[in-house]
Amino acid sequence: MKLNLWKLAANNIRSRRTRSWLTILGVLIGVTAVVALMSIGSGVEQAVLQQFEDIGYDILIVTPTGDEGSSIAATRNAMMAGMGTEMRGSMRPATEMDTETSGGIFDPSAIGQSSDSQGTGEDSTVAGQMPFAFSAENVDPERLVSMVPDVVQAGNYTTAVMGVEGPGASGFLRVSTPSASFLQDFPSFLGGWKLADGSGFTDVGINQVVVGARSADNLGVNVGDALIIRDERFVVSGILAPSGVAEEGVESAGEPQTGLARSGNTVLTGGRSTTILTGLTNTDDALFVLEERAAELWDDLGVATTIVRVAQGADIDASRNSIETAMSAVGTGVSVISVAEMAGSIQSTLGLIETVLACIAAVALLVGAVGLMNTMYTAVLERRQEIGILKAVGATDGQVLTLFLIDSGLMGLVGGVLGLGIGAVLSFVGARFVGPMLGVTTFSPLFSAGLIFGVLAFSFILGGISGAWPAWRGSRLNPVEALASE
Amino acid sequence: MLVLEEVHKTYHMGETEVHALRGVDLTIEDESFVVVMGPSGSGKSTLMHLVGCLDTPTKGHVIYDGADLGALSSRQRANYRADQVGFVFQKFNLVGTLTALENVELPLLLQDAPAGVARDKAAHALESVGLKSRMKHRPSKLSGGEQQRVAIARALVNEPRWILADEPTGNLDTTTGEYILGLLEGFVGEDRSVMLVTHNPEIAKIADVLVEICDGQIESLTKKSVKQVVTS
Ligand SMILES: Nc1ncnc2c1ncn2[C@@H]1O[C@H](COP(=O)(O)OP(=O)(O)OP(=O)(O)O)[C@@H](O)[C@H]1O
Ligand SMILES: [Mg+2]
Repeated sequence: MKLNLWKLAANNIRSRRTRSWLTILGVLIGVTAVVALMSIGSGVEQAVLQQFEDIGYDILIVTPTGDEGSSIAATRNAMMAGMGTEMRGSMRPATEMDTETSGGIFDPSAIGQSSDSQGTGEDSTVAGQMPFAFSAENVDPERLVSMVPDVVQAGNYTTAVMGVEGPGASGFLRVSTPSASFLQDFPSFLGGWKLADGSGFTDVGINQVVVGARSADNLGVNVGDALIIRDERFVVSGILAPSGVAEEGVESAGEPQTGLARSGNTVLTGGRSTTILTGLTNTDDALFVLEERAAELWDDLGVATTIVRVAQGADIDASRNSIETAMSAVGTGVSVISVAEMAGSIQSTLGLIETVLACIAAVALLVGAVGLMNTMYTAVLERRQEIGILKAVGATDGQVLTLFLIDSGLMGLVGGVLGLGIGAVLSFVGARFVGPMLGVTTFSPLFSAGLIFGVLAFSFILGGISGAWPAWRGSRLNPVEALASE
Repeated sequence: MLVLEEVHKTYHMGETEVHALRGVDLTIEDESFVVVMGPSGSGKSTLMHLVGCLDTPTKGHVIYDGADLGALSSRQRANYRADQVGFVFQKFNLVGTLTALENVELPLLLQDAPAGVARDKAAHALESVGLKSRMKHRPSKLSGGEQQRVAIARALVNEPRWILADEPTGNLDTTTGEYILGLLEGFVGEDRSVMLVTHNPEIAKIADVLVEICDGQIESLTKKSVKQVVTS
């Protein structure tokens, strides 16, 4: 019997082919939206969290605040809000950079950097916007390790934007100065410090530079080539492998920045997420000079960010407090933020975005459901006579109800299956575009079994629910009146 | 045995009430060929619907083999329609999206008959009305007479005790109509009865029971077997 009702329902769908397909299309669009948005959402979240995991949850980032402790909170807020001006390396004239400070790019590697004051007056505006870039004293990593028991490793890291002349192009780029021990202790902080070419730093005594993948491209340098950084001649001793972090709209010299890519970036991510995740592991647009070397050449590198690794199993919050207390005791106000904290903050932001996306998708699905209900309502009206016939030959109210429920459920299910397929295709295509916009190139949408079966079950049930009221009305029709209708 | 006691049926159309039946008393033995005649709007169809349990009386009782049909639940009434009666309507009332065979299978499958059994019985029923070669046709591809034969096959496929035919020849030409009436007449037999609404006085002559109805009341009841005419 059940089988026959299925057949009858399928028959009805087929006999009203165009309308059925249009109805299914409505459901399909909703399901597609849900599948695409949800899978991309969870894919992005996973990719982002992976980046933090790669860096390590045992890492704390310590930033001197200048005056003792009073601005700790302000600084941390500033960091979390991504107020730090976008200071990533740029191959464009500095004046253009100034117009771009609204991006809200937070870049930990840019913390504590000073701008290149050599002949670029425009940069001072940028530096002026850094709330923590004044008169702060560097944290002494060794002292920090000895003072705070939980801290097992610490290293300093400075970033400055400097004028760089390469064989192919020249411009202002971010120059980071990790120490040799920093490279050993915190490679994860520099995207794993994977060299694509060359051997890295081999001699503290000579001017060696390791160039990020994209910078190398833009500057047109290979290992062994010479580069002029702030009037000093450097030899390229290594080129880093691409970090997998997407290009943040950095083009080669002279190429104008497209406003679209930029705004897409901000709109989709709310600024904060992009910045942290690109900032932490994006080595592509930077140049690296050993701190030991840089300190000899330049004395205005600015305040260093101190990266700290705490002992395994240590309480991160307690460690943070100990660091703050210890540093404040020696007269250095610091602000400490943990990678876990950043991840948490990003996760909650992403969670919010995912919720918003899910709501949008839900609205699309709701529209589909209303369309389905409309179709079923019309179908019941049109099929009054058929209902009368069925009842005259012995169908119970329940059978008529079931027939229509199957009918609408089937349309829901077909919409669900097709929506799942199209949504999957769309999300893989979408990931190609969304990934780069979010700053993650190595990202694919995530399809959990829960999502797939959930969507299928949900769309069938949605179909049933949408059809329930029309079906119930149909099942309660008086057979004589139903037969009398044309 | 079918007994109608003081049966009333009133339809409400907004403010106005239509008294389709007003006090019908009728007793019909099993294995009867009942013909119902009367002018248009006299309540013939209404009477059929009550006997077939498609509708319930406003007042009075329709009692079939001792059971008051008006007291049945919706489900029991559906089962009664499935088991005890088969309807044949003036406008055929076939499901347009199903083939002739599928239309005839429908009552069986609604009763949870196995698909194979249903198919065989339906094919046999269609054969008995001379439609063996039209089984895969949709109603729209069949002539009026053929459609009505499909409807008759559908009505008798469940082996009901009653076939209720409401002007089954109304939309057919005389020859086809006579063939249809012949089929119905042939159905009457062992524990099988037919109630036929018609305007054809020729048919009335061969009826076991002739019910003449006017204005919702029985005007005259003629029972052939007892050769007795009751005039109200
Ligand atoms: N569903 C309904 N709602 C309102 N009035 C109805 C309804 N069905 C029948 N009637 C009215 O009840 C009366 C009897 O109708 P019925 O269909 O039984 O007549 P009939 O004898 O079958 O007529 P015909 O020969 O034209 O088929 C008519 O006046 C009709 O208008
Ligand atoms: Mg009638």
